[in-house]
Amino acid sequence: MSDLTPPQTATDTNAVARVVRAALNEDWLATAVGLLLVALVLTGVIPTGLVP
Amino acid sequence: MVATEEDLAAPPAERPARTWPWLVLGVLIVLVLGSVARFLEDTIPAAAKGTSLEKFAAAVEYPIYAIVLGLIGNVIVYFTGLRERIADAVFTEFFIKTGLVLLGASINLSLIVKAAGPAILQAVLLISSVFLITWYLGGLLGLDEKLRALLSAAVSICGVSAAIAAAGAVRAKREQLAYAASLVIIFALPSIFLLPWLADLLGLSPAVAGAWIGGNIDTTAAVTAAGAIAGEQTLQIATIVKATQNALIGIVAVALTAYFAFKVEKDADAQRPGLRQLWDRFPKFVLGFIAASAIGTWYVGSVSAAEGKAHIAVINDLRTWFLILAFVSIGLQLRVSALREAGWRPVAVFGGATLANLAIGLGLASILFAGFTV
Repeated sequence: MSDLTPPQTATDTNAVARVVRAALNEDWLATAVGLLLVALVLTGVIPTGLVP
Repeated sequence: MVATEEDLAAPPAERPARTWPWLVLGVLIVLVLGSVARFLEDTIPAAAKGTSLEKFAAAVEYPIYAIVLGLIGNVIVYFTGLRERIADAVFTEFFIKTGLVLLGASINLSLIVKAAGPAILQAVLLISSVFLITWYLGGLLGLDEKLRALLSAAVSICGVSAAIAAAGAVRAKREQLAYAASLVIIFALPSIFLLPWLADLLGLSPAVAGAWIGGNIDTTAAVTAAGAIAGEQTLQIATIVKATQNALIGIVAVALTAYFAFKVEKDADAQRPGLRQLWDRFPKFVLGFIAASAIGTWYVGSVSAAEGKAHIAVINDLRTWFLILAFVSIGLQLRVSALREAGWRPVAVFGGATLANLAIGLGLASILFAGFTV
């Protein structure tokens, strides 16, 4: 299936590596933001009625 | 700045320059579309009350408004030439993962513990069988080994995230990852509406429906959308099952790394993958989901019922916002051009594997979650 197997280039490797790194960073960021929001609500910093 | 599938679809020289103003504009577009979805979800059922559309309007949940608005936005940004410029602002994975961490706060930790056994068993059986079926179909239709690995991981585990992990493991080409990501989204979109409808038609309990949806729909965002349409209990089980599958990405990525290094590329100098790689590939938001559940369970048990309920309701409102933004982003991200370039064979492999996934998943969910109460 030649149309699906062009030779792999350094750009390919870099692009894939960049997406893999981004996915790993997003995991930590989502965890931190999610837990921070939970903490802000439970401590009353984000009060009831503020979120539409 | 976060890299996206678009980085894989076009070489750097062909991509428009990305600057902060475009990023801000992109975020604004996602926020405006999300706000419109939230507004429609609030106002349409009330406006339709007493009319012939009352039942229909009440049945249309926020994921539907968000996805449809995202698709409309997709067409608009395509024809105005903005689509590639704002691509970096479409943080689908971040929105969905943050939404799932917030969802954890409303799920009692005991439910996660109770569902963990059947969820792990279902994940192991489903991932193994569907991975092997997809691998076999890919071989039958003559797909490249790396594309076979990507499609097998995407169908059997959790869509785009698994395809990204597998692409890193087998050092796939960027076009292959773009095909796999596009296939995941194109197949997931109809599943969002089809599976809740089928679950209702088959009279599945919320637990079985949740396990079926969580085990079948490839991408986590689409699982959450389908679960939200089917109901809160279904959403909770679907999320636990999907999070379990997500947690197994690392094992599959490490196995693929070893297989490609030693069997396919026969690299004698390759190092054996170890525990470090397993940890690197583990989706950390699953830890956030469990931590939020533990915090929420402790909090609700330590304050009055009214106070606990009010605060969890605010967290649920925040969760709905993040999920709406994720669903808008799914609509905005849809690309059909990659499929045209891929040809019919990857589509046929993905379609065949999805059908197998549906049948095996329904069987496993019906057996493992029979009599399970949420």
